[in-house]
Amino acid sequence: MTRNLRIPGIVRGSRIQFFFNGREITAFKGETVLAALMAAGIKTLGVDPHGKGRGALCGMGVCYQCRVSIDGRPGRRACMAQVRAGMVIETEKDLP
Amino acid sequence: MIFKKRCDVAIVGGGVCGLAAAATLADQKLDVLVLDENRYLGGQVLRSLPWPGNASGIHKIFRSRPRLVDKTATPSVTILNHTQVMGIDKDLEILAEKDRKEIIGIRPQMVLAATGARETFVPFPGWTLPGVMAAGGVQTLMKGAGVLPGQYMVVAGMGPFLTAVAGLFLKNKGMPTAILDFGKRADTCRLLVHGFRQGAKILEGVRNLTGIFLAGVPCRYRTMVVAAQGSRELEKVVAARVDSLGRIIGGTGKTYKTGCLATGWGFVPNLELPMQAGCSLTHDPDLGGWVVAVTHDFETSIPGIFAAGEITGIAGASISMIEGELAALGILKKLGRNVDVHRMAALQRQRKQSLSFSTWFNRLHRVPDAVFCAIPDTVLICRCEHITMGEIKTAVEKGYDTPAMLKKVLRCGMGLCQGRTCGPVVNRILAALTRRSAEAFPVLPVRTPVKQVSVRSFLR
Ligand SMILES: Cc1cc2nc3c(=O)[nH]c(=O)nc-3n(C[C@H](O)[C@H](O)[C@H](O)COP(=O)(O)OP(=O)(O)OC[C@H]3O[C@@H](n4cnc5c(N)ncnc54)[C@H](O)[C@@H]3O)c2cc1C
Ligand code: FES
Repeated sequence: MTRNLRIPGIVRGSRIQFFFNGREITAFKGETVLAALMAAGIKTLGVDPHGKGRGALCGMGVCYQCRVSIDGRPGRRACMAQVRAGMVIETEKDLP
Repeated sequence: MIFKKRCDVAIVGGGVCGLAAAATLADQKLDVLVLDENRYLGGQVLRSLPWPGNASGIHKIFRSRPRLVDKTATPSVTILNHTQVMGIDKDLEILAEKDRKEIIGIRPQMVLAATGARETFVPFPGWTLPGVMAAGGVQTLMKGAGVLPGQYMVVAGMGPFLTAVAGLFLKNKGMPTAILDFGKRADTCRLLVHGFRQGAKILEGVRNLTGIFLAGVPCRYRTMVVAAQGSRELEKVVAARVDSLGRIIGGTGKTYKTGCLATGWGFVPNLELPMQAGCSLTHDPDLGGWVVAVTHDFETSIPGIFAAGEITGIAGASISMIEGELAALGILKKLGRNVDVHRMAALQRQRKQSLSFSTWFNRLHRVPDAVFCAIPDTVLICRCEHITMGEIKTAVEKGYDTPAMLKKVLRCGMGLCQGRTCGPVVNRILAALTRRSAEAFPVLPVRTPVKQVSVRSFLR
């Protein structure tokens, strides 16, 4: 079981829930989708055309490796999007 | 719907450089617009938590942030955050997209490009496994969200930035498994000498190194990652010792168990926007390779477009701040305002002093060709278009040995990131394989938009 990866002693936004591939996950308002997922121990954000997992690289909007679908909109960068209550996030399978 | 805005000066990039410039211009009551694609100002160095009440939180040493941000909080400065600048045309008209839904046209008298830098890498087998992240990405996660990437982490690559990231991780109760630095131990010691000129840096450096030493984190020098392994995600990192030319020394392999690897090999400037605007580049290895060419006053080859900060030379935060102010003074001069020549001279002197650090830093980060030649054929170089080292080698053997040719025959750099990640790597690989200097390989031009735009914005 992973330890809480959120650094203690930080004043955060209000607690919210969102969904990642159907699983309910707790996050804090103001976090990026990437931060919320990483804090939940999730590193695989997508699947490449060869069936291999794909995860965030740059964490700052450059590499497009963290693409996920957010509320049905594909290709959103997890590191740039802010998490919102009730958001539905799904991994994407890239077409070959 | 397209919004039009007018202003005296538009600054692209709200990092230390852009903010320092905005503060200087605001003093002269100019109408200034700062555009940044991030939600929060500060760029890479001043990045901080998005929640109030954490002012003295994770990175106390950047005291300049509140001052810079306060100084720009005047009526003459308008901040457009979450705004991607897509292009600048001949008449200096800027096209930008705000909040992924609105297209804005801006007509400034002068433009300052301060788009900063991004990280660069040396690819290795398994570097695409989830769990392998850029060192800067990990720093961003900790500084900008207060989240650790994992409980344990190997930090590997090259240069003093590794110590900074490992130090921050340790301070926040993470446990660095090991620090694997391609450089020599002596380089780390030399950092301290250079750091003396940079005040805050030395303090930070000493604090990080002491913490790492006291925690007993293994620091291996002249060592690099040869493979990241794991069935679905990263599970372990294999590293080996290298000689001064970067050749792997047989029999020195060592395995580290970890679910997280932070890797970084230095920085490259974000040249896309100035290139799109037509600004000339210049190649100077001591400034980090290709950078925007500027005059003494930081004006580019396009009249009215100024450039400063990391895009005119990889040099670190303090010098970016100095350059921001200098560029602002250059703009004031060009607008016919009175400028304090003494202030200008003092800043030029400070800049010159700081340049010795950047020269050292950039020489340190010059990775030997052998390292790029030795990348195994199966390693992915261009992630977006799925192009391997083997495919690049074959293309080069057939004579397709320039970035432009590779782009045509392999689609290398044609993916979503538009070559931002693989471009600098491919240039180094080409230089290494063809035994030519990096200068022989120009940065590939980009077209408007330099950023991905949502179709929604255009439909509105
Ligand atoms: C991940 C990372 C970590 C770093 N950490 C350190 C460190 O700890 N210490 C240190 O001394 N140096 C560090 N550096 C080097 C650092 O780049 C400089 O020291 C400093 O941030 C440079 O300031 P700047 O204003 O030139 O650029 P930046 O701080 O990078 O600011 C540039 C800004 O421009 C924005 N931008 C770029 N293109 C566009 C566009 N088209 N539209 C809208 N906005 C745009 C970016 O979002 C960014 O906010 C780091 C660099 C990176 C990439
Ligand atoms: S991690 Fe690189 S764009 Fe999000």
